[in-house]
Amino acid sequence: MVAAGPNRIDPYLIPALDGVAYGLLVFVAASGLVFCFGVANILNLAHGMLYAIGGYTAAALLDGGWASLALALAVGVLAAAAAGVLLAGLLTPVATGNHLTQALLTFGVALAGGSLLVAGFGPDDPRVRVPAALDGSVVVAGHRYAAYRLVFIVVAAVISAALYLVVRRTRAGMLVRAAVDDPEMVACMGVSPTRIRAGVLAAAGALAGAAGVLGAPIIGPGTDTADTVLLLSLVVVVLGGLGSMAGTLLAALAIGEIQTLGVALLPSAAPFLLFAAMAAVLAVRARGLATRWRTT
Amino acid sequence: MPLTTPWHSRALTAALLATVLTASSACGDDATGTSAGGSIKIGLLASLSGTYQAVGTEIRDGFQLYLDTHDGKLGGRQVDLVVADEGNGAQTAVPAATKLLKQDRVSALTGIVGGGSVAGVTPLLNETKVPLVGSNGRPELKDVSRVWHTSYLSDEPGAAIAQHVRDNVKGSVYAIGPDYQGGWDELRGFTDAFTKIGGKLANADGKTTFTPFPATTNFTPYFARIKASGAAAVYTFYAGSAAVDFVKQYAQSEIKDVPLYAAGFLTEGGVLNAQGEAARDIYSVLNYSPDLDNAENRAFVAAWKAKHDGSPTTYALASYDAAAVLDRAIGAAGSDPTPEAINAAIAQLGQIASPRGTWQFSTTTHSPVQKWYLRQVRQDGRALSNTVVGDLATVGR
Repeated sequence: MVAAGPNRIDPYLIPALDGVAYGLLVFVAASGLVFCFGVANILNLAHGMLYAIGGYTAAALLDGGWASLALALAVGVLAAAAAGVLLAGLLTPVATGNHLTQALLTFGVALAGGSLLVAGFGPDDPRVRVPAALDGSVVVAGHRYAAYRLVFIVVAAVISAALYLVVRRTRAGMLVRAAVDDPEMVACMGVSPTRIRAGVLAAAGALAGAAGVLGAPIIGPGTDTADTVLLLSLVVVVLGGLGSMAGTLLAALAIGEIQTLGVALLPSAAPFLLFAAMAAVLAVRARGLATRWRTT
Repeated sequence: MPLTTPWHSRALTAALLATVLTASSACGDDATGTSAGGSIKIGLLASLSGTYQAVGTEIRDGFQLYLDTHDGKLGGRQVDLVVADEGNGAQTAVPAATKLLKQDRVSALTGIVGGGSVAGVTPLLNETKVPLVGSNGRPELKDVSRVWHTSYLSDEPGAAIAQHVRDNVKGSVYAIGPDYQGGWDELRGFTDAFTKIGGKLANADGKTTFTPFPATTNFTPYFARIKASGAAAVYTFYAGSAAVDFVKQYAQSEIKDVPLYAAGFLTEGGVLNAQGEAARDIYSVLNYSPDLDNAENRAFVAAWKAKHDGSPTTYALASYDAAAVLDRAIGAAGSDPTPEAINAAIAQLGQIASPRGTWQFSTTTHSPVQKWYLRQVRQDGRALSNTVVGDLATVGR
């Protein structure tokens, strides 16, 4: 049995590693939605569209060089952030916490925006050209694995750490948290709540845009991209709750592993594995996985 | 926290939304079709929006190309082409077809991308006694008296390539495909024919592996299983975005050196452009390739390239052929080409010359008896293209 150990684990090494890459992508993509929903109490169903904006930007600008990657990242982040500000403008007359109206409005925007993207970029999935140095595979523990995804794990980890520091340690992060706790007091200090809402949606857009550009080789731009990303993000909210970034990260990584390692272990259960996990979490603990992380 | 809603109830809201999204993604006047002035009304139904927009657009353009190269006439009559949007499936296709058949009173219907849409529209055809010359989706149908297809049956590509794979692969073959009717049919066509001639599947239980559709965007876990199975080759069928994901990830996976055989849709049309280098060397089976060497095809490809970027696909070809079928049938239907007369004339057409080579309608299934080609993705000038490397079986029943 001991000798059989490595051989039994061996086929699952790559799926497990890929689960981390996929999970981190889901984390960066979903964190904007969690941010809006959990901190600013705005339900933004156009979040998947913001990711798609980043994805299409990547497809349009990437030409296989590093400079184009930097350009695509800048343009994608700005475009998605601008779309976020636009959404904030549209949401201004809607009371905070009026989720039904927010959902209807943002879902309408998502449908219209999705059609505009398809009209602009065509119905075919566009080609995404990553820098040539990353457009291959490397050997990890005796297995081939996509070089881009390996690098993506590092980059996404850096983005996640930066996000944590911004929310916890900067004035902007404090203002956002303060605006939720006591919007009137913040207004008295001379900071407009409308501007904070615009800021939160812009930041969420920027995160989704960055995820869209960097994740384009993994969840590529296409007609279904916005729905896929929105669905995964909503599952993150269900699994991870809205209490803490740690909960969100844990949920995103769990989704990544369920979608890769889980599918490798139980392929016949693949169609419902993710939602079975979601249902189980809701049944056992309606507050999500994050409860024990809330104090952190 | 003084939030308006407790956050766990917001999580429940999200759960509800996730459920709804999953469920939704699972997805006249009295004039007759002909007039005294010698014109005829034809209805074209295709997905001009939604998931299959790319295929629907090819189908519309293929039919239009035939009209443009034949003075806008079919059977000597000026064509009044009424185009309607099929959308994503039967739910939108049936109302659109109802309008074409009952309000516009078309003499014949063509197009239709989805098999589900065809199944939904078929009862209307019998009710209005109008023939359908379909150019893509073809479900199992009990009654094909007014249904004709210029495309293929879903299990035919796999059946056509099985012998070639058996002869050229030394070892077992792993079969994998998407988990819906089209995927089941495509893979069953291959596995049935392949195992019948002594081929062995590498899948753990000897059964095809089906991946959730369209939810699967990451194929890495399946590639790990294929690697572990020790397969000497892989046979698959995917189309659209799933085909792009599958091919791109395959090329960077640990099974990238395992030969990949597929139904031609894996690398057909727009998806090949999105796949890029990753698609190089993939073998596929299809009833058409733009580099086929015959006079009809040279004329067809030249006319297509004059109007569009890139080469025509099998989707455009099937629609072009649907126009050719209607052209001859309307011409043969006499001075009063009623829908019934056109339907009767289609049955008498015999051999049809086409860019894909000569074919004819099967008398039992009303779909083509046609030759299938083995293609490989190779460099063609500056772009990659599906190049014919050999003839496979002639299939049809």
